[in-house]
Amino acid sequence: MFLTDEETGMLNGDQGDAVKKAMEILVALGESFGAKRLVPINNVHMAGSSVLVAEEAGTRFVEDIRTQGGTFVTNVTTNPTAVDPTQWKKIGIPESDSVLQTRLTDAYAGMGANTCNTCIPYLVGNTPRFGEHMVWGESSAVVYANSVCGARTNREGGPSGLASALTGRTPEYGFHLTENRYGKFLIKVETPLNDMTDYGTLGCFAGKIAGQDTPVFTGLPASPTLEQVKALSAALASSGAVSMFHAVGVTPEAPTLEAAFGRKEPEQVFVFDLAEKQKVEAFLNKEATDHVDWIQIGCPNASVQEIREVAQALEGKKIHRDITLWVTTAGAMYAMAERMGYIKTIEDAGGVIVRETCPFLARSRVIAPNKGFKTLTTNSAKMAFYAPGQFGLPTHYGNLDRVMQAALDGVWR
Amino acid sequence: MTADHFILAGRKIVKGKASGQAIVTREAISFNGGVDNMTGIVTEPGHELEGQNISGKVLVFSTGKGSTGGSYKIYDMVSRGTAPVAFIQTTPEAITTIGAIIGNIPVVSGFEQDPTLAILNDDFIELDADAGTVSITRTQ
Repeated sequence: MFLTDEETGMLNGDQGDAVKKAMEILVALGESFGAKRLVPINNVHMAGSSVLVAEEAGTRFVEDIRTQGGTFVTNVTTNPTAVDPTQWKKIGIPESDSVLQTRLTDAYAGMGANTCNTCIPYLVGNTPRFGEHMVWGESSAVVYANSVCGARTNREGGPSGLASALTGRTPEYGFHLTENRYGKFLIKVETPLNDMTDYGTLGCFAGKIAGQDTPVFTGLPASPTLEQVKALSAALASSGAVSMFHAVGVTPEAPTLEAAFGRKEPEQVFVFDLAEKQKVEAFLNKEATDHVDWIQIGCPNASVQEIREVAQALEGKKIHRDITLWVTTAGAMYAMAERMGYIKTIEDAGGVIVRETCPFLARSRVIAPNKGFKTLTTNSAKMAFYAPGQFGLPTHYGNLDRVMQAALDGVWR
Repeated sequence: MTADHFILAGRKIVKGKASGQAIVTREAISFNGGVDNMTGIVTEPGHELEGQNISGKVLVFSTGKGSTGGSYKIYDMVSRGTAPVAFIQTTPEAITTIGAIIGNIPVVSGFEQDPTLAILNDDFIELDADAGTVSITRTQ
């Protein structure tokens, strides 16, 4: 891989040990993917922000980088952590995670990160430009940024995000190159997509087929909401290793079918009809009983609009006493929702608004038995896909109306 | 007892050498969300390797998938001794590559044949990533 004089100097230690280690990581990564050179970047969204993921070893890795003089030279936002600092004990998070997480968050903050601790950086001030080369982790955000914003990022792990934040570089491979951004297979959507849950169902269907390949969707409504494409992005990224999708007439690099495929033929064509939709819903809805205890809304983190819809469902009502409702969101969304009165409405009904963490990135294998949770109920395809494997809870999956009804009734219908 | 011995030639994804028994899946693996880092057990429901332990094995799989948190999870598994000793992949993928780089796990990919078909469970593997070679000993 070609390195400029400055980059060679960085690799040789001219800018200190932290930058040297960072360049070693980037060179190894670039060479593994056959990158010809590095490109400059100024936008990192850091995966590996949670101690569930980093644990003690990863936390020490990041702290060591800081001790060696590591300083971020790019804008950096961070992904959710394992802890809501305002109420971790009350919601069942172990104290050891609170202690470790403080160390990890401090290490990122000390090097210059905006520790927003959310999976929706594009909603809290990190807004990618079309064509912007970036280094984003958080699989759901990578798909959103590439597809909806037309920015250019690979699926970046925590260590590569760290390396890029310390150097302002990333290897030029994968989705930084136009020739890699075309669609490979076609999915014709032939059933209505009524809400963000349906978009998540579509994403789960497509992700399972995709592997690493880029799907192209036709038949999407002309103007999906932000929440709907957010849900599609997250589900695609979880069930596969997808970095982007095209939706003809909707996403910026797909004004036409030909443009989306780079004037090539689709390698395969699939149809997403009602039968396929119901199959995926059944796959994500494995819990056989009607038992509901833990309900989670906000995967990816809830927008203000989503918080509003939860508040509307709970206005003047009480959540069933056997139900724990988590609405997971970002601090910036919470602040606006609080001004609008939605937080009070949800809390008066007995719900909990959780910031900076979520069941996927907190230690739910400990939280669930601590709290006696036996199932997870959610409107998120991503969360329903991961819950059984990540923390051992079978899931109920349905749209917001159905989930909120379960919150009030205490059973799944 | 006879032994078959053959070599697959691929390319280095992450440097290093390792040896051990193969555990093979045709499927992709998600290290954050599909594997328990504490034990090395594959937890993804319905996965071909669900319930099986990949610690200390040469993991032969199609590619990585899922959460970008997988890279640090791999690093954590190395530090607590639950990681595979090497990755053999049909297709390289960023999250598993990045985890292998900082965890010092050698990785080879880019074979002419599909390694998830060519290699069988319990084959003894000697891998030299820098040379790009995977040497397989299979006892009948």
